[in-house]
Amino acid sequence: MNVFSPQQFKPAVSEDVWVPSACALCYGTCSILAHRIDGTVIKIEGNPDSAVGKGRLCGKGVSGIMTHYDPNRLRYPIRRTNPKKGLHEDPGWKRISWTEAMDEIADVLRKVHADDPRKLVVQRTTTVTASRVPMHAFGSAFGTPNFSVSGGGLHCGNGAHLISGIMHASWSIVPDFEYCNYAIFFGASKGHSAGHASCSNMAKAADARARGMKMVVVDPLCNFAAAKATEWVPLRVGTDAALALGMCNIMVNDLGVYDGPYLQAKTNAPYLIGPDKLYVRHPQSKTPLVWDTRTGSARPFNEVPAADMALEGEFTVDGTPCRPAFHRLREHLRKFSPDWAERISGIPAATVRRLAKEFATEARIGSTIVVDGVSLPYRPVAAIAFRGAQGHKNSVYNFYAVDLLNHLVGAADVVGGCLGFNPTSHGHPETGGVRYIPTAGPDGLMVVGSWMGYHYPYPPPEPRLPKNLGLQDLFVIGMTSPFLDSTDREQMWEKFDVPYRPEVMINFGANLVMSIANKDAVAESLSKYKFIVSFDLFLTETSNFVDIILPDCSYLQSLDGRANFPFIFSLPGGLGEWCWPIRQPVLPPDGEQRQFAEVLLELADRVGFRADLNAAYNAWLDLQPPYRLTGDNRYGYEDICDRELKNNFGAERGLDWFKDNGLIKWKKKPEEVYWRPFVDVRVPVYWEFLKPIGDKIAAIAEPRGLKVPLEYYDPLPDFLPCRSHCCNKPGFDFYGFYYRDVVHTNSFTMENPWLDEAARLDPFSYTIAINRAEAAKRGFADGQQVWVESESGRKVGGRLKLTEGIHPEGLGFAAMCGHWTDGQPVAKGKGVFYNDLLDLDFEHASPVNINLDLCVKVRVTPAEHAP
Amino acid sequence: MSVRWDAVVDRATVERHKVSPLLRQCVIDRNADSSRVRVQLFGALAALSRRQSVELVLPAGVTVADVIAILGDQLGETFSTHVIDVNGAKHRHCRLFVAGYPVEDLQTPLYPATELTEIDIILLIAPEGG
Repeated sequence: MNVFSPQQFKPAVSEDVWVPSACALCYGTCSILAHRIDGTVIKIEGNPDSAVGKGRLCGKGVSGIMTHYDPNRLRYPIRRTNPKKGLHEDPGWKRISWTEAMDEIADVLRKVHADDPRKLVVQRTTTVTASRVPMHAFGSAFGTPNFSVSGGGLHCGNGAHLISGIMHASWSIVPDFEYCNYAIFFGASKGHSAGHASCSNMAKAADARARGMKMVVVDPLCNFAAAKATEWVPLRVGTDAALALGMCNIMVNDLGVYDGPYLQAKTNAPYLIGPDKLYVRHPQSKTPLVWDTRTGSARPFNEVPAADMALEGEFTVDGTPCRPAFHRLREHLRKFSPDWAERISGIPAATVRRLAKEFATEARIGSTIVVDGVSLPYRPVAAIAFRGAQGHKNSVYNFYAVDLLNHLVGAADVVGGCLGFNPTSHGHPETGGVRYIPTAGPDGLMVVGSWMGYHYPYPPPEPRLPKNLGLQDLFVIGMTSPFLDSTDREQMWEKFDVPYRPEVMINFGANLVMSIANKDAVAESLSKYKFIVSFDLFLTETSNFVDIILPDCSYLQSLDGRANFPFIFSLPGGLGEWCWPIRQPVLPPDGEQRQFAEVLLELADRVGFRADLNAAYNAWLDLQPPYRLTGDNRYGYEDICDRELKNNFGAERGLDWFKDNGLIKWKKKPEEVYWRPFVDVRVPVYWEFLKPIGDKIAAIAEPRGLKVPLEYYDPLPDFLPCRSHCCNKPGFDFYGFYYRDVVHTNSFTMENPWLDEAARLDPFSYTIAINRAEAAKRGFADGQQVWVESESGRKVGGRLKLTEGIHPEGLGFAAMCGHWTDGQPVAKGKGVFYNDLLDLDFEHASPVNINLDLCVKVRVTPAEHAP
Repeated sequence: MSVRWDAVVDRATVERHKVSPLLRQCVIDRNADSSRVRVQLFGALAALSRRQSVELVLPAGVTVADVIAILGDQLGETFSTHVIDVNGAKHRHCRLFVAGYPVEDLQTPLYPATELTEIDIILLIAPEGG
């Protein structure tokens, strides 16, 4: 007999709501619904109403609840008592009040502002996309040009974003999953792991595979993308350009397959090139000339119908012998034979030929298709690349060579082809808000319509003697710089007479010690700062160098008017909807936590530059009357978010409207998604602009003792070896590399107990992948503890995982694990800290985009005890 | 609707407006024969120029480029090099607003106005990563 019914034990629920907001476990920033019952979030799901994630949420996203409720979260400001900073120094943290913290920080900032604002370095993690505007606005208002995103860009984007911007007017590229029939991925996991629009793309990629899209993954490791692919093509680490160039050669020279009308109308392929490798220009207007086949004369490109432009031939213009860029490209490609590609990449020549033939055939050059009543070019093939291919000294050419495959067949931003993430937006249909379209810049080449920063990929600025610490004034193609922390930073600053040194850093959430390169180099750099303040959720390895740590709100406690960057970053490409979601607090702060954006506003008031900060917000958010911030009025962050939303979507759609609705969306038009035929811009298949940039950099650098390797600045791509490819040291017979793990984001998520559990169940997350046959040759067993040593003597330890799914010469490390801080007890001691193998100096960076070279030639030796 | 690679493009429908129509409405005053302008400098530009605000009275028909040139004369080369590149174009990371509306093309005219026209200029941090 039941004395009590279950109902009698069930507590009365006074609140049961699902709150629309945005994830922040990675920069994909998928839209979520947080289920809150009586003040406690019990579940997080994807928001099916949103195009950002489409209702899907990855393992990291659903586990976010454990990051939020982690008992190791910081809840009040702390200050170090030990002035000595070091990797193994105990900071001696003591709790302080917010008043004490803000007084001290404001005092430091006031002094450096009066002395030289450039001595402030503003630093943030890319994991929280919405941190971008508040941190950039603060730095711009303060007056410093020195900004960094730690390992972001330096590892994953200086090449990918640059070239996606130049060639596709977008931050990244992806196959048009709805229509693509043949996709080839070079060191990319788009749609199969982490990254931009990750959850949306996972659904799209799965549907595409089910539809029959053939997917070829070129990667040293058979991991998240390759495991689901039709074919895995293992290659030697860092040799992607060799395969891509070999394929280009076969397509153009053996098969004679290329999209002539596309090259004529949408690229600089017809521009005439002189013996100096530069454009032949009109003597007065300086416009690049093409050969007009109708008149038999050289004329400015913008005066000749595309169909009349010669793509090949040898001409003489005013006594100068010249050939169209395409002619030069075609001749240049001849040296990349399949046998050559095999020698460099290890991919059999027959495979190189077959892949080229498949790609060329599947491109269906000349075909059209009707989409929503619009007849459009149809090229259902795509070659995409990301971090794996571009994270090398040869970063630019690796990515450029891969994307050349698309442009040779006209598969760029057309149906079925390689798409940028939404490069063209005609704006909200009622207000016109968030409107941007690529435009024609110098020499008719494309300038992006929207960009994450103001360092546009094209046209590059003129190189000059650098005044910023990252030296991007000189290395103008670069974005995130190694030179803030590199071992040769002081020599570089001295060479170029940089007239100041960094003294103060404001950091948002980045764990620099783990995310850039070897810990000793970064630690040495951080220890030189006089004062560091950091907004954090947890203590990290970087905390050892921080003076004051401020307890930040988690994403479940935060407000952001633009959770995602509109729209080239995390809104999926392809047909569907435009979508602008917000992030809103689901839970109140715990203890004395405060959202960093509000703290920065207060700091500006205390230091006395609120008018500048208001102006910076106006500029970053493009606020226009009547929503602009004026004078030095003290707007709160909610008010700023409200103004941006109204500025874009009308007075009736402010923050309150968005809090109720979570997001606004509207349908994309085919002319927006497949914009390439509609916008009169060209892209460079011949990077003529690169050569003068290299020459100008060399003219500044070489008299000061820095040799600039100009072979990296040639207008046509080549395979140029990494340091690892040149290492002949006996016993150093593996190429170490790291890859993104689907259950982890950078070094951030290892503290999450659910993700840690998943990672421990995964045989690869916390181990070092080695080829089974190669391991057997050396007597290594599965699970064996080993040391991995770099050519320069750096060492990390870990446990081997034997697998057939890795190139025989590869040694694969998942994510960025191996934490050692006591502040993250779940993460501590798990996995391997690959970055500790990376050298950090000019020699290990791309001399063009200053991307760090992420592959290392290593020796593997048994460890007697667990390292 | 069929689109070819060499399709004719109607730039008027696809390109960004170089001068905001709102800006035109906002500052024009056909009875005025000159413009009174207050230029506010923010962030690094204020520090470099050692000025936060400059007021100018300008004849009708001047452009934003003229204003920048006059400021260059008053504030020095440091100001000019931070606003304008070697080709005479505005640096992209230099944002310029006339009466609250963004201006990218320095040839944008300043229409005669009896009211004070505010011009805001700020240098933003250029690089981004991720």
